[in-house]
Amino acid sequence: MHEGHLLELRQITKRFGGVTAVDRCSLELAPGKIYGLIGPNGSGKTTLFNCITGLEVREEGEIRFKGERIDGLRPHQVARRGIGRTFQIIRVFPELTALENLLVVTWESFDAAHHRARELLRFVTLDRLQNEYAGNLSYGQQKLLEFARVLMTDPELILLDEPAAGVNRTLLNDLLEAIRNLRAQGKTIFIVEHDMKVIMDLSERIFVLNYGKKIAEGPPGSIQSDERVIEAYFGG
Amino acid sequence: MRKALLAALVIGSILLALYPMVATGYSIRFMLQLFMWVALAQSWNLISGLTGYVSFGHVAFFGTGAYTAAILVTTHAWHWAPASLTGGIAGVVLALIIGYPCLRLKGPYFAIAMLGLNEVMRVLVSYFEGLTGGGLGISLPILYASVQIYYAMALAAIAVTVTAYLIISSRFGLRLMTIREDEIAAEAMGVDTARYKLYAFLLSAFIPGVVGGLYARDQGYIEPLSVFPLLTTVTMIVMALFGGKGTVWGPVLGAVLLFSFQELVWARFLYLHQILFGAIIVFVVLIMPRGILGVIQQRYHLSRSL
Repeated sequence: MHEGHLLELRQITKRFGGVTAVDRCSLELAPGKIYGLIGPNGSGKTTLFNCITGLEVREEGEIRFKGERIDGLRPHQVARRGIGRTFQIIRVFPELTALENLLVVTWESFDAAHHRARELLRFVTLDRLQNEYAGNLSYGQQKLLEFARVLMTDPELILLDEPAAGVNRTLLNDLLEAIRNLRAQGKTIFIVEHDMKVIMDLSERIFVLNYGKKIAEGPPGSIQSDERVIEAYFGG
Repeated sequence: MRKALLAALVIGSILLALYPMVATGYSIRFMLQLFMWVALAQSWNLISGLTGYVSFGHVAFFGTGAYTAAILVTTHAWHWAPASLTGGIAGVVLALIIGYPCLRLKGPYFAIAMLGLNEVMRVLVSYFEGLTGGGLGISLPILYASVQIYYAMALAAIAVTVTAYLIISSRFGLRLMTIREDEIAAEAMGVDTARYKLYAFLLSAFIPGVVGGLYARDQGYIEPLSVFPLLTTVTMIVMALFGGKGTVWGPVLGAVLLFSFQELVWARFLYLHQILFGAIIVFVVLIMPRGILGVIQQRYHLSRSL
């Protein structure tokens, strides 16, 4: 076991019936960096995220976070150890207010939680809407709220599942700025994204999945020219 | 707003406490039953209104409490008050036994499992004749205690409403609501949803057990059909939905309006009352799924606890 890895996946396999969604996938994340995960539709990106966060139980392999096994833990236990995530399809709590959406995910004192929740709402420019039901917010605002909510849990590792999808240019730039800020604060970020420009700009290292298998890994420059990657996206 | 509400509550409580001194037998019984419905609808609200796990068998806790208390009173000569409290504990024990497996079920499957529980309980009490008298039921020793039971029912209704208030205005309550809103997101954000659901379920089973015990004492006679009727579950659900599930005062309002309405119409038109009751269910589900207070609270951005 290599010291110093924040997250380490060893030979993770997950099947759904006859489909092997994730196939003996191994990867390591070092702390304080931004990582990308790409691959064609159905290549197993979200399933891999689900295995890490405990929403799916991996069939084979080991997942270690800060050196400790986390495979087999329930999702809330994984979350409490410091792995936060957002979802591909927005999952805010629609009939709770924006403020309440943040308050429910921490266990610090009520005053401290309130203070930090307001700060985060200001950070994502939703402070004026704090008493509005999350379900009444626009798509972009809900996306920001979900982003603020994962930050509220103060995770060391943040998994973002398609943060740029359906977000307009201005908002996207703010979001990218926020992600870089988090890295500057020492957070590790792991992003699934279809927008190649976004992922190439942000990531320091990229993993490529195809049919559940990791087919390539490296810095953005080398991934762009990797033949296996090009074939996976464009080839037969 | 809050002060006015508090003042109204204090005055209301004093009036209700003095009420039996001036009231007739019928109106005491009317109020006693009203308190019972408030307590039941509010208990249902604690699990189903907050977590969204719709319990279609909540009357199982009521019936279990009724039988527990009736057996303690008749064969062990207990006083009805501790017997009813023990009925509440029996409800919680039952909830603990079935909550663990059943709360893993989602949506309609949980509702159906709870429906099944109620049927199973009814069959069980019919089967163990030695203990429960089977289909013949249990007759309790004659006792005129309407006024005391009036106060006990009032206490049960107040206790569960205060509990609802404390829960709904706390982060514990908000976390229960995250289960209703999006259970997967709640888990992924660190909420131990299995444990929270179980806590809410246990809390929601206690008062129906107590109220069942009081009901047994008040009626003086119980049998399987009288304390495990599906209609009781449906009624508490409709009351909570009509007033506004997930709010503190919704179930209270729903119970007051529907029970008063039921008594008024029932006394005059036996069949019409059932048709109207059915119409109200359809109306609420179609037009006003949030209930009266749910609509008001959302339109004017009021707190769930007002």
